[in-house]
Amino acid sequence: MALLERNEWYDIARDTNWTPTYVSQENLFPPTMSDPYQIPIDEWETFDEPYKVSFREYVRTQREKDGSAYSVKAALSRSRFYDQACEGWASVLKLHYGTVALTEYQACQFQARMVRFGPSPSMRNMATFGMLDEMRHAQLQLFFPHELVHRDRQYDWAHEAAHTNNWAVIGGRHAMDDIMMCRDAVTGSLMVSFAFETGLTNLQMIGLSTDAANMGDFTFSNLITSIQSDEARHAQLGTPTIEIMVRNGYKEDAQKILDIAFWRVWRLFSVSVGIPMDYYIPLEQRHMSFKEFMHEWVNRQYVRQVEDLGLAKPWYWQHFLDDIENHHHCQQGGIWSWRPTVWWNPPGAVGPKERQWLEKKYPGWNDSYGTYWDVITENLLADREEKTHPECVPIICNMCQIPISNRPGKAWKARPYQFEHEGRRYNFCTEPCRWIFTTDPNRYKDHETIVDRMYSGEIQPPDLDGVLKYMGIGVVSEGGRDGYNYQWIEGFRSAAAE
Amino acid sequence: MDKFPILSRFQYDCHVKVVETDVGETITQLAMNCASHSIGIHVKDQPGKVLRVRKTSDTDDQPPLRGDITVGEAGLIMYDCVDVYFSDPES
Ligand SMILES: [Fe+2]
Ligand SMILES: [Fe+2]
Ligand SMILES: [Zn+2]
Repeated sequence: MALLERNEWYDIARDTNWTPTYVSQENLFPPTMSDPYQIPIDEWETFDEPYKVSFREYVRTQREKDGSAYSVKAALSRSRFYDQACEGWASVLKLHYGTVALTEYQACQFQARMVRFGPSPSMRNMATFGMLDEMRHAQLQLFFPHELVHRDRQYDWAHEAAHTNNWAVIGGRHAMDDIMMCRDAVTGSLMVSFAFETGLTNLQMIGLSTDAANMGDFTFSNLITSIQSDEARHAQLGTPTIEIMVRNGYKEDAQKILDIAFWRVWRLFSVSVGIPMDYYIPLEQRHMSFKEFMHEWVNRQYVRQVEDLGLAKPWYWQHFLDDIENHHHCQQGGIWSWRPTVWWNPPGAVGPKERQWLEKKYPGWNDSYGTYWDVITENLLADREEKTHPECVPIICNMCQIPISNRPGKAWKARPYQFEHEGRRYNFCTEPCRWIFTTDPNRYKDHETIVDRMYSGEIQPPDLDGVLKYMGIGVVSEGGRDGYNYQWIEGFRSAAAE
Repeated sequence: MDKFPILSRFQYDCHVKVVETDVGETITQLAMNCASHSIGIHVKDQPGKVLRVRKTSDTDDQPPLRGDITVGEAGLIMYDCVDVYFSDPES
């Protein structure tokens, strides 16, 4: 039997909606799960997604994509790539899989919320594909690292990280719970589909697959490309939602929602992408600096997209531009210094040549971050490795859950932004993190950072060993060490000898 | 003595660090305590200089606390933040 062309039936099938008679509309779509703005249903029925696909087409394309990703993996699984890959690249993979794999399952649950509670039938239809996409992403990114576990236990964090209280995981969970797991379908689609997926991840994946190809890791490059092609489609759920909100007088709400989510995701993104690009990937394979990447791929596009929708760039844009040149350099220092607390082996990787590159890409790097690494380098050259392990912990931001840090050296910018609420004192890394808290204190006030937990009695014993065990270190795998066994200081030793 | 955490904003350091103190510790001892987590770890020492302590403020202009008073006398409580900074001995 001949099939109808998609365009002959698509609109009517997609827009089919119910008029409930046994229950009220409000019971079927409770505002707190669906649309707290209560925009009229005929407005929602104008929702028109730019990318259209039928279920039949979807299944065929996804089957091809899966087939290709798995066959590249199978073909290359006998190659010795992962035996020979440097620990810098291995760190990129371990960090990626640990933080991303099960976050994809959360994304699946979030898409499912839009499938059930999206106020527009076309939103529900499109989110159905998004839900299936995210399921596929989780499965791929659990399966691919699994075969690496026998080489290196740290790859097991792909499966385990989300079930631990590792500080980096708490950071990811706090943000994802905030923007994905605990939002109604409408607010969430702005936060996830627009700020998170359109604004940051979709583009990040383009960068990551280029890096993987440069490294010769075609399995991973192919995997990321495959995932990105889904992302490019379901990320489009946000735009029509914003259009409808703006048209119905909810422009200020839309702006605030995007500004919250963009900053939350940015703080994680710069750690998980900025550090790999500027430190973990060996100098010879770096295709651009993180700053160049952000300006070229993210900033211009994000600003253009929000302005096209009648919104403005976030109020904290100056803070954001400064953070692009700062945050990940600080956290590279922090993660390296407290390396036993992470599940990968972060290379210090700031030898003479790398420092030259960093100075060229980030003028002033040596006078600031360089002073921090000078002390570490001197300790290593003088065989005082023990002095490279701080005996205290850094204070952690009560919003992003990342150590409160800022430009070291003469600039001396690190400071906590404090806030008192109902008798409790909160510490934030920056003004935007503090601002997010003030937008809805009840939402955030009861959460405790890993440092708060040391002093509230949750972590026992409240010492370094107690904290490490609490975080899953030594339980899932050993914690991190320098990825290059301090080889990167040799350039300074030979320079000193000359 | 009950130990409690205060925040050390040590001059030139990259991170704000959690340092355990107690109400009986003098400000001079507190400065040394904070220094042990920064100098020679992430911050270069400055021989010939002394360390001073002041309460952290937005404008960085609080007067230094006297070295011989205690943390309790200075009124420092949990998660208060102090600046610890290098200074000329005579100033
Ligand atoms: Fe995904
Ligand atoms: Fe996605
Ligand atoms: Zn923060």
